[in-house]
Amino acid sequence: MFASLPEHFRSYGVASDVRTLLLFQKAIQKGLIRTLGDIYTVLKSILVKDVSDLGPYTAAYYKYFLNIAIDHGESLHDAILRSETFRQWKTDNLDRFGDDKDLDALVDRFLEEVHTTTYDIKEVLDGKALWNKDNPELEDETLDIDAGDAERKALEQLADYSDLSLDELMERMQKVWEQQRGKHSGGSHWIGTGGISPYGHGGAAKDGIRVGGTGGGKMARRILSDRKFFPVDTDAILNDNNVDAALAALKGVQQETSEETLDIPQTIDKGIKRGGLFIPEMEFGTSKKLQVLLLIDNGGYSMDPYVKIVRTLFRKMQTRFAHDLETFYFHNTIYDKVYSDSQRRKSISIDSLLSKNPDYRVFIIGDASMASYELSRTSIASYKALTTHFKHCSWLNPEPMKYWHYTFTIQVIKELVPMYPLSPKGIEEAVRQMNRII
Amino acid sequence: MAKKEIWTGSDEYLCDRELAQAFHIARTLGMPLLIEGEPGTGKTELPLQYAKEQGLELFVYPTGSKSTVEQFVAKFDHVKYLRDSQIEILNAQRAEKGVQSALSTGGRNTESLADYVNKGPAALAYSTPNSVLLIDEIDKAPREFPNDLLYALSHRQFIMPESGEVITCSEEEMPAIVITSNREQELPTAFKGRCIYHYIHFPDADTMREIVAKHHPQIDNSIVDAALDIFYHLRRIGLERSPTTRELLNWLKYVRTFSSQEAIQKIEQLDGIGTLVKTQSDLEKIQKALFKDGEDFAKRSTSN
Repeated sequence: MFASLPEHFRSYGVASDVRTLLLFQKAIQKGLIRTLGDIYTVLKSILVKDVSDLGPYTAAYYKYFLNIAIDHGESLHDAILRSETFRQWKTDNLDRFGDDKDLDALVDRFLEEVHTTTYDIKEVLDGKALWNKDNPELEDETLDIDAGDAERKALEQLADYSDLSLDELMERMQKVWEQQRGKHSGGSHWIGTGGISPYGHGGAAKDGIRVGGTGGGKMARRILSDRKFFPVDTDAILNDNNVDAALAALKGVQQETSEETLDIPQTIDKGIKRGGLFIPEMEFGTSKKLQVLLLIDNGGYSMDPYVKIVRTLFRKMQTRFAHDLETFYFHNTIYDKVYSDSQRRKSISIDSLLSKNPDYRVFIIGDASMASYELSRTSIASYKALTTHFKHCSWLNPEPMKYWHYTFTIQVIKELVPMYPLSPKGIEEAVRQMNRII
Repeated sequence: MAKKEIWTGSDEYLCDRELAQAFHIARTLGMPLLIEGEPGTGKTELPLQYAKEQGLELFVYPTGSKSTVEQFVAKFDHVKYLRDSQIEILNAQRAEKGVQSALSTGGRNTESLADYVNKGPAALAYSTPNSVLLIDEIDKAPREFPNDLLYALSHRQFIMPESGEVITCSEEEMPAIVITSNREQELPTAFKGRCIYHYIHFPDADTMREIVAKHHPQIDNSIVDAALDIFYHLRRIGLERSPTTRELLNWLKYVRTFSSQEAIQKIEQLDGIGTLVKTQSDLEKIQKALFKDGEDFAKRSTSN
C-alpha cells in the first residue's frame, strides 16, 4: 500500500524508504491518523530530519496527497488557486460558503480544512458506524443527497477508528487516494463535503471544533515562502546564504574522539604510594587540538569578492572552537614569503611557516590564475615544500570548476596541491580527504 | 498507555501546538523526540516541565565533549571490584590467623557482577516505566556517541557491561525520550532516522506574549508591549546573534523591579540591553540603526 510514497518523496529530495511506510502504518494502527492534516503532521515528524527538509517535504505532500503541484518559486496560495483539486472542492462545497465568494478567503478555508488535525478537534465518536455508511465508490452527487442533517451533525465530530483493522484502514485509504488522483474526480474525495478524512467522505470532522492554535495551513504557507526551509545550494560558490553550510562542512576538520585509556605511569606511581595496591588509573583521551593555517590570496581584483566571506567563515569557526587559527596573505602565488597582515607589509618567510607542527591543517584559498611567468620555479618549490611538510593541505578555489582547465596555472597548481572548489560541497570534500591522511 | 495522551504545557510552560503534536507522536510511536531550534526557545524545558507537571520520574544526561556511552548507560566499577576481591583475600587471611572481625564489602558480593554495575541515566530510565529521559545538547558529544546509541534506540534495550544483564522495556512503558541539539554538528543520518524530528520555530509576538505571561504573570501589559516592540525590532535588523526568548525574559525580570512608568522608560532607553545583546559589533549596529542622531548610546549601555 502506498508503495509509491517513498519514491515520490525521494524525488523531492526528502530521504524516505520502506521504513517510512512501516512507521506510517504503525501510526495508523496507534490511531494517530484520522484526518488529512494528521497525515501531514505524522509524515512530517517521520520524514523531515532537518529544517531545510520542510520546504521540499511540504511541496511533495501537496503533490502526493492533494495533487497540487507547486512550481518552483510559486506560492502555495497561487498553486492552490490554479489546481483542479481546489476548483472541484469549491464546486462541491458551494452551499456551505453562502455568499462568501472571496477567493482568498476560500483558499484560507481550504488550507484550514486540509490541515485540520486530530489535535484540533475535541469530540470523538464511533468511527465504525460512519465507516459502514460511507462508501468510497460513491459519486459525489449521491453523497450530497445522502448527507442529511443528522449526519452532518455527526460529521462535526471526530471519528474514532480504533476498532477497525489496519488492513481495512489502509485499503480504504489507498482506494480513496487513487480516486483523489484520478482524472475524473479531480480531487474531492479526501476533502469531500468538508470531511477531511483520509478514509473517504464519511471521514472525520466537518468544520471541526477548534481547540485553539493557529492552524497548520498558516505554517505550510510560511514554510513554502521562506528560503530557510529549503536546502541551500551546496554547489554554489561561497556566499552569505550558504556560509553556514560551509561552516558545517569545515567543522569536520576536527575529529573529536573521547576514549578512556589506562594511564600506566600514574597507575604505577599511585600504586607504589598505596604500598603495592595497584588500582588502574584511567585517563580521558583529550581530543586532538586542531590547528589551522589559512593562506589567502588577497591580491588582484579577481579575489576581492571572496576575501571577506572567507574570513567571515573562518572567524565564525574560531568563535565556536577555541583553537589556533593563523591567517597569512599572499599575492597571486606564494614565493618565498607570505604576509601576516592583509596590507601585505609584515612578511614572514616560508621557512618559518615550515617550522610549524606538521599536524597543522593548511587551507590555501586563491583563484590560482595568473600569468604563466608568475608561477616561477621558486613558487613551485614553495608549494612542494608546503605539501611535503604539511600532510593535511588543500587548495580551495573560488573559480567555478568547469573553467579550471582553461587556465594553465590552475592546471599546474592542481597537480601540486589537491584542489577543491570553494563551495560547501568542495570544502566538505577537502575536509574528508584531509581527514583520511593520518 | 496511561501517559500517551497529548500534553499541551503547564502553568509555567507554553508548549506550542506543533511541538505538542510532535511530542505526542513520538511518545505514541515509542521513539525519541529530537528537538532543534534557536537557542533559548525552551528545548530543554519541555521534558523538565512535562515530568514536573505529570509527576513522572526524570533522568537527565547533559552531554559534553567527553561523553561516552558508558556514562550514559552503565559502567562497571573495576576499582570497587578490585578492592572487594582484595578484601576477600584479606578476610580469608584474617580468618586463618583467628581474627574475628572481618572487613566489610558494603553488602556487595564479588560473585555477583551486577553489584558493580553503576547504572547511568539511560539504564535507570529504561528500568523505570513511564519515566522521562532528557539527553541535552547531543551535538556537543563526540561523533561516536549518537552512533553507539542506535541499537538501544531501535531495540529498546541495553546490555549491561560485564554482568550481561539486559535492561529492556516494552513499547508501552518506554520512557519519553527528548533529545535536544543546537546543530553545532550534524548528527548521523542513521541516528536521525530513529528519532521524531521537530524544529522549534521562533515564537511570533502573540505566542511570545503568552510565554511572557507564564513567566511574569504580574507584569504590566504596557511594559510587555514596549519590550516586545524593541525585541522584535532587534531581531529584524539582522544582528550577528539575535536575542532569544530566554534573554527577553531576563530583560523583563530586570525592568520588572521598577515601577511601570519607570520600566517603560528604561525599555525605551534600552537600559540593560546587555541582557539581550552580547557582542560589541552588535551593539554598534544597534546604535547605528536606532540612534541615528548620534546619541551616546554605547556609553550608556556599557555603564550598566
